[in-house]
Amino acid sequence: MGVEGKIQALNNAIREAVPHMQSVARDNPNANVLVRAVRFSDGASWHVAHPTPVHDFKWPDLTAGGLTDLGQALSLVAEEMQVPPMTDRALPPVLCLVSDGLPTDDFSAGLNTLLKLDWGRKAVRIAIAIGEDAMLDDAVSVFTRFIAAPGIKPLHANNPEALVGYIRWVSTAVLKSASSPASQLDQDGGAIMTPEGAAVPAPPPFVGNNTDVTVTDVW
Amino acid sequence: MSELFKPGDLVGLEPSGQTCRIEEFLGGGGQGEVYSARYGERAWALKWYYPQSATQGQRKALEKLIDIKIKSYNFPSPEFLWPEFMASRLGFPGYGYLMPLRERRFHGIVDILNQQVDPSFRSLVNAGIKLADSFLLLHSKGLCYCDISFGNVFFDPETGDIMICDNDNVGVDGENNSGVLGTPRFMAPEVVTGKSKPNIQTDLYSLAVLLFYMFFLHHPLEGRFEADIQCMDLAAMQKLYGKDAKFIFDPDDESNRPVPGLHDNALTFWPLYPQFLRDIFIRAFTSGIKDAKDGRVRESEWRAALSKLRDLIYYCPQCGAENFVHEGPNPLDTVPESVCWGCGCELTVPFRLCVGRQTVVLNQDTKIFTHHVDPRKRNDFSTPVAELAQHPVRPDVWGLKNLSTAKWTTLGPNGKQLEVPPGRSVSIAYNTRIHFGTSEGVIV
Repeated sequence: MGVEGKIQALNNAIREAVPHMQSVARDNPNANVLVRAVRFSDGASWHVAHPTPVHDFKWPDLTAGGLTDLGQALSLVAEEMQVPPMTDRALPPVLCLVSDGLPTDDFSAGLNTLLKLDWGRKAVRIAIAIGEDAMLDDAVSVFTRFIAAPGIKPLHANNPEALVGYIRWVSTAVLKSASSPASQLDQDGGAIMTPEGAAVPAPPPFVGNNTDVTVTDVW
Repeated sequence: MSELFKPGDLVGLEPSGQTCRIEEFLGGGGQGEVYSARYGERAWALKWYYPQSATQGQRKALEKLIDIKIKSYNFPSPEFLWPEFMASRLGFPGYGYLMPLRERRFHGIVDILNQQVDPSFRSLVNAGIKLADSFLLLHSKGLCYCDISFGNVFFDPETGDIMICDNDNVGVDGENNSGVLGTPRFMAPEVVTGKSKPNIQTDLYSLAVLLFYMFFLHHPLEGRFEADIQCMDLAAMQKLYGKDAKFIFDPDDESNRPVPGLHDNALTFWPLYPQFLRDIFIRAFTSGIKDAKDGRVRESEWRAALSKLRDLIYYCPQCGAENFVHEGPNPLDTVPESVCWGCGCELTVPFRLCVGRQTVVLNQDTKIFTHHVDPRKRNDFSTPVAELAQHPVRPDVWGLKNLSTAKWTTLGPNGKQLEVPPGRSVSIAYNTRIHFGTSEGVIV
């Protein structure tokens, strides 16, 4: 990660992602979202060791390091995916890898340690690619193996909103809205429910009332 | 000002040794002069540094920028007039660089304040989104711009396309050696007070000032404090924009409110925008001033807020003025009638499509994009998935036409479930639910 501008790019990517995580967490008050971080360069260690509520989370900038010991980082994360400290019942953890994707240690060993665990496998695994090296085939293959979910590609640092699109608190929200009230549906057999006074102005469209075309028609 | 070159002069390009031909003197500044030039099939701009500015450090910085472009896949985007070749001339002191030439359709953002141009809100929002997008791209490379201000950013009032000039000060964040501190009024308070040099966080502040100028035609800190200053000297500016920086609409401190008669733009435009937009500006200039490191509004947040704002534009049927839907906390709730800010007539809010946290007003020209219906593909505006369509036989009936490749399912207000294959339309009616395959929306 020592290459020029790359560590700044990494710090910026995380700072951009935090407010979107906070925003989606606000929409899911039932999920108690805690954030912590591991740094890896020559070895791996906890950068933010304390699980911090996402609303209080502030990113301490990383400074440029040497190697990219991703395998060790994954082993360190795996320790926390065991039961305990994890409980049997929880929302799936989200593991977000932010890297240029070119590990310098035994990445496979670390990944295997993680994926041997139930919570490691069930975790939502996302990756944010940093720098031009992240476009290389070797790097893409590392990201793909980490994510291990077809259809999910590593994200680029300039689209942090997409990150929260992958986090499953969102699916909780979708469930909520899908199961929420049919009470808004029309009860008396087909009249168009238009709110009081909502005569829709031109130029926007409106729906006719004397209807040889039913408003629910598909055409 | 002396002009170093005359039309027809040839200037050499590195490393090829090919030449560009000077066409016209465009302007001069503190650092050097800019000319239009012809190289190959394209028109370019040549910036030539005065000897005192043509330092070794500047040359190195430029070479680095040229190198970044060569080595990058998707950077810089076309919005950046980025240095592409070093230029030099035998027997001539100093050096220059060649960059793409700005097209004539682009105007300075200051022209909005001077009333030289009168862009629509839609163009302004487009420009705001593109600014946020572009600086996010720059910052996501670990680079910072150091001098976001009126003079360096241009826009097309018709479309909202933007151009970012003067990229020669760009450097790796935290390693800024250019000596550039920024432009007065745009510099972050911590730069004004000398506590910090320009960096990514100070860029975020300058961007917020620029956006505030665009949407409110006023400076965010110029209220009562500015009105009380008798002589705007350096000390006064350091207080107003630095030590005592206070947002004019700080909800917890009314001491620096705009003064009627002096700051009317701010007073006129502030209430026009929906609360969420006012809130993000409040945050930019309250926590963004208190906490330079973690309190600033990020570019992706601006982009999200401005995309949302763009979706809430609707038109007054009387005068055509653009108005914004002022949603309550629950977008599904009925929005009360309001009054057109252009002509004062009463407005009824048109139908809207709500998809999760996204609300899109269904104007006749509205298009729905992947951005709106796929939470995994935010900011994808490349292909529309739906547009409004008029019924071929009943022109008073409008529908939402499926432009995607997926089949939609809809649940009409009468509980009838129907399928909408690609190319077909479903009539727009209150409480129609549409499942787009990636998410579900409801028409309200």
